[in-house]
Amino acid sequence: MMPNHRDALVFCEDPHLLTALVGKAQQVCASLDGQVGVLLIQETDLALAASAGASRILQPSAPVQFDSAEPVIALLCRAIEETHPRIVLVGATRLGLEVAPRVAERLGLDYLPWATGIDVDAGSSSARASAQLYSGLGRVEYQFDGPTLVLSAAVGAFQEDGVVEIPEGEPQRLILEAAGLSAGVRVLSARPKSAGNESLEHSPVIIDLGQGVRADDGLEIYRELAGLLHGQMASTRPVAVERNWFPEWLGLSGFTVSPRLCLTLGVAGAVQHMIGIRGSERIAAVNNDESAAIFSQCDYGIVADLYAFLTVFIDRLKARKVRLNETRI
Amino acid sequence: MRILALIKNSLDITEIKVDPNSGELRLAGVPERIGAIDKNVVEAAVRLKETYGGSACGISFGPAEARDNFKDVLAMGLDEIVLIEDSTKGEASAGLTVRALKAAVRALGAFDLILCGFASDDGYTYQTGPRLAERLGLPLVSYARAIEASEGKVRVEQDLEDCIQLVAAPLPCIISIAEEAFPPRRTTLMDAIKAKKKPISIWRREDHLELEEAFRNAPASAPLLEKTGVIVRRKQQIFKSSDLCATADQLIDCLISDGILTEENA
Repeated sequence: MMPNHRDALVFCEDPHLLTALVGKAQQVCASLDGQVGVLLIQETDLALAASAGASRILQPSAPVQFDSAEPVIALLCRAIEETHPRIVLVGATRLGLEVAPRVAERLGLDYLPWATGIDVDAGSSSARASAQLYSGLGRVEYQFDGPTLVLSAAVGAFQEDGVVEIPEGEPQRLILEAAGLSAGVRVLSARPKSAGNESLEHSPVIIDLGQGVRADDGLEIYRELAGLLHGQMASTRPVAVERNWFPEWLGLSGFTVSPRLCLTLGVAGAVQHMIGIRGSERIAAVNNDESAAIFSQCDYGIVADLYAFLTVFIDRLKARKVRLNETRI
Repeated sequence: MRILALIKNSLDITEIKVDPNSGELRLAGVPERIGAIDKNVVEAAVRLKETYGGSACGISFGPAEARDNFKDVLAMGLDEIVLIEDSTKGEASAGLTVRALKAAVRALGAFDLILCGFASDDGYTYQTGPRLAERLGLPLVSYARAIEASEGKVRVEQDLEDCIQLVAAPLPCIISIAEEAFPPRRTTLMDAIKAKKKPISIWRREDHLELEEAFRNAPASAPLLEKTGVIVRRKQQIFKSSDLCATADQLIDCLISDGILTEENA
């Protein structure tokens, strides 16, 4: 295949994020008159990649052990060498964040982690791309003059995800040689984590529990609220670690989420925690301490006793038959 | 076992403020320190040294002033620290950083294990471990929560999104430490006194041929077009009426008009 550097190549093992990245890649390709290719690591992902809008599907010639990063890195390198894409978009999952810089270092390509924007002009050989800096406190924009730019991006990273268009006809298949993909790291066993925060990053509503939540009253009332709003429960680091309520937490050292609504309950508003939720479309906060820092960082602040307010709030949600507006995604 | 621990003098990003009018990032006066993630790295290195014997040497790439911030990690149990002076004044590309680290690793001779954080406390980009693995041609195990060594191999518990995976890798290799794994020990006054006698060597590019080559041959940083703070503007509508029912209804109304909630009765 002749180098054209007009195409995009996407790799992400997380199906939700893959769809968003393909959308963004289509947007970039539209201005370049290029195609979106998706590197697949499992046969079962085929239908998904096609439905995600890939024009080209790249697969290994034989089943490969994919629970370690090394074969994925080698395959992505081969895919880049075969198709000469303009951009390589990798999902910023734990696997992706290892794979992307190694691929860039191995092939001598530019790499931008935590990308938030890509601007590639068909008439120009250089690309502009922006990324978050200091865990989202800042933003940087660079110019890249290399033929191929590798980027990693997280859920909700781009201001506007492209609207995925499904190309007509069957996607083109490209088989990558899988021989000789040995791995120095060998997987012995795996045990699933408790499913507490499984879908946190994709949840439209987060019920965010802070230290103002009483430890001895249990989680029932929050679970009920989460159920009513189709949300997931999460917490600050002290609540997760000291009370052992959740395996992970939101914030600088934990998860970063960007739901449509983050309802914080008894959260003080420390910077370390806010970094995890500042991407939320709306933040509503309930706290009995009027001077809490959260009130200057939220859209709607309720100064009230948490339990008294929640009991009434849940009653009103039920009485008015209020639910998540799912018509607007 | 000879362990090399990569540590970074990081900005305390919780102290970074954004000018609300100009959107400028206020970086002047923001304190620098060995980051929390890197203290986890040091704790892992010292525990392995205590279990298997040998030595633990810290390697850092940063400004010469960083040496003032090494007291704590030396007190925790590192034997010595090599500081590669970053002559670019903080403008080093990730490619340069790993080339300089590779030069130092090579100059330090045989080793069994390189430990690093899964990310740095300020940049948080998780590039150094993966890129260094490529440069050195070594296996990398990312996001380690527990490490055991035996007969030229390590067994590591890897903290992935949905599972804890047990993997084996041959030595030498690179291991990145997961967030909040290996919480750092408390140090005593005696530890601090002993730490004062431990060596900190500062390596400058002109003193080492390999370092000079690393600086000369590394790819330049991409041209920076813009660097700004992110200002998230929030409505800051505060409700503090004692009529909780009215307040609950007001909150619901706000979220309905935002298009986040919807009301069946309407």
